[in-house]
Amino acid sequence: MIEVRELTKRYGAVRAVDGLSFEVKPGYVAGFLGPNGAGKSTTMRAVLGLDAPTSGEALVNGRRYAGIKRPMFEVGALLDANAVHGGRSAVNHLRCLARSNGIGLKRVVEVLEQVGLAGAAKRRVSALSLGMKQRLGVAAALLGDPGVLLFDEPVNGLDPEGIRWIRGLMRGLAAEGRTVLVSSHLMSEMALTADRIIVVGRGRLILESSMRDLADRFKRDVLVRTPDVAGLRSVLENAGASVSVDDGALVVRSLEAADIADLAARHGIAVHELTPRSATLEDAYLELTEDSVEFRTAEVAR
Amino acid sequence: MIDVTASEWLKVRTVRSTWYLLLSVVGVLALGTLISYLMTAEWDRSTPDVQAAFASADPSVVVMPFAQFAFGVLGALVATSEYGNGMIRTVLVAAPRRLVLLVAKVVVVGVGALALGTAVSFAAYAIGKVVTGDRPAPISGDPFSEALPALFANGLAALVIALVGLGFGVLLRSTAGALVTLCVLMFVVPVVAVLLPAPWNNRVVSVTPLYLGPQFSGQLTGQLTPAQALAVMIAYLVVALGAGALVLVRRDA
Repeated sequence: MIEVRELTKRYGAVRAVDGLSFEVKPGYVAGFLGPNGAGKSTTMRAVLGLDAPTSGEALVNGRRYAGIKRPMFEVGALLDANAVHGGRSAVNHLRCLARSNGIGLKRVVEVLEQVGLAGAAKRRVSALSLGMKQRLGVAAALLGDPGVLLFDEPVNGLDPEGIRWIRGLMRGLAAEGRTVLVSSHLMSEMALTADRIIVVGRGRLILESSMRDLADRFKRDVLVRTPDVAGLRSVLENAGASVSVDDGALVVRSLEAADIADLAARHGIAVHELTPRSATLEDAYLELTEDSVEFRTAEVAR
Repeated sequence: MIDVTASEWLKVRTVRSTWYLLLSVVGVLALGTLISYLMTAEWDRSTPDVQAAFASADPSVVVMPFAQFAFGVLGALVATSEYGNGMIRTVLVAAPRRLVLLVAKVVVVGVGALALGTAVSFAAYAIGKVVTGDRPAPISGDPFSEALPALFANGLAALVIALVGLGFGVLLRSTAGALVTLCVLMFVVPVVAVLLPAPWNNRVVSVTPLYLGPQFSGQLTGQLTPAQALAVMIAYLVVALGAGALVLVRRDA
């Protein structure tokens, strides 16, 4: 369980996070979504006690992270796969982290196998590819078998096979009843992984919703193909719909697909295709975050 | 606390820089041995009145300042090697209680520098004795019983310098910054201070790190008493580590 309450983090005059509140509960993958610079990483760093909030608080399992004695057993985090000392071997890197929480070599070997790095255990970290470092970071996060997991942009630098692996891993961890928070600036990625999403822009909460509600909310229109375009159009317009013609098909707003079908049947008009269309999640995301992105671009251009 | 200390101990042992630094100390011991040997050979060829003017062929003169600086570098690297690459964030996620982390680093660096510094000091003295053999006083160092306090003081100075290096590292978060500061304090200030009008020249030199050990053991007299030298050493530790602790706790990682 992760609780962020009225979290504000200022760096000088810049409010990186501005009164942000949300909760992540166990059992689903929560996508933490926003354009670059929206405050996602800052929020995660505040949750992990790395950055002190200017005001508000961020709690893990009801507690402040910085006070936890052996945090690896409660929380696993992958912030930046490159934030490692390159001189140690992969296994020694994990041993050092594990030792600070009283975790032994046996578990280190287990997680190395779990993330598919057993063969590279003796290699120096600086010799690993970014994708392998991401796996090493995931291994570190899993060391204490924690109930809460935070991943900051985990698919960056991964190849397609690695991306599929990490999606499966996150869904698996959530299915085991863990709390999983994953940040990304790519809606398409979240659409495949997350069950709920938290959208932020300029440090503020824009939307917190389930993936399905978001898709419903951005339902757009119904595409209708019929041999009697003019006839159906007048029927629908009489029923109060706004109708336009696009490439020989009718695009109908403010009537549900079922109502259109009923009207067509009542008037004996054949319908060849009836497709409810919603904005893609990508479009929905861009629409939601447009303001915050525009503002920043304008500011830079000034 | 014990787990975090064990982790720090493991961290120090699993980076190559530690081993390079220790290797460099061994190298300087070898160099000191050579110098000691050449001095002794020169002494053997000289006339008695020249012999009387010789300094001691004790390799410590060469070895200890270098070894102490090497431990200072080690102390600084224990902190800065984690800031340069962001490893510190990974470490603080695993061990979020920052003062506990600092104390663990202090224990590892302090115990290591004290033990190894004392060992190097004894080794240098022993090498000097072996090289000079049964030759008389000026060329051969003090007898063991008289040299003993100075040998332990060298180890203590290594501990102080290593922890000052650690404090600078935590404070400045940059290897270059910490090492330059340490270098200035240990090697530049004593040279520049000589230009100051008396008695400030000697006063300033006497409180720089390399001169504290000999004053603490009574080997070097005229400025600080042993108690005063110890007090200055403690002041260095309090200031460097205190400032480091304050920054570590207050600033975002």
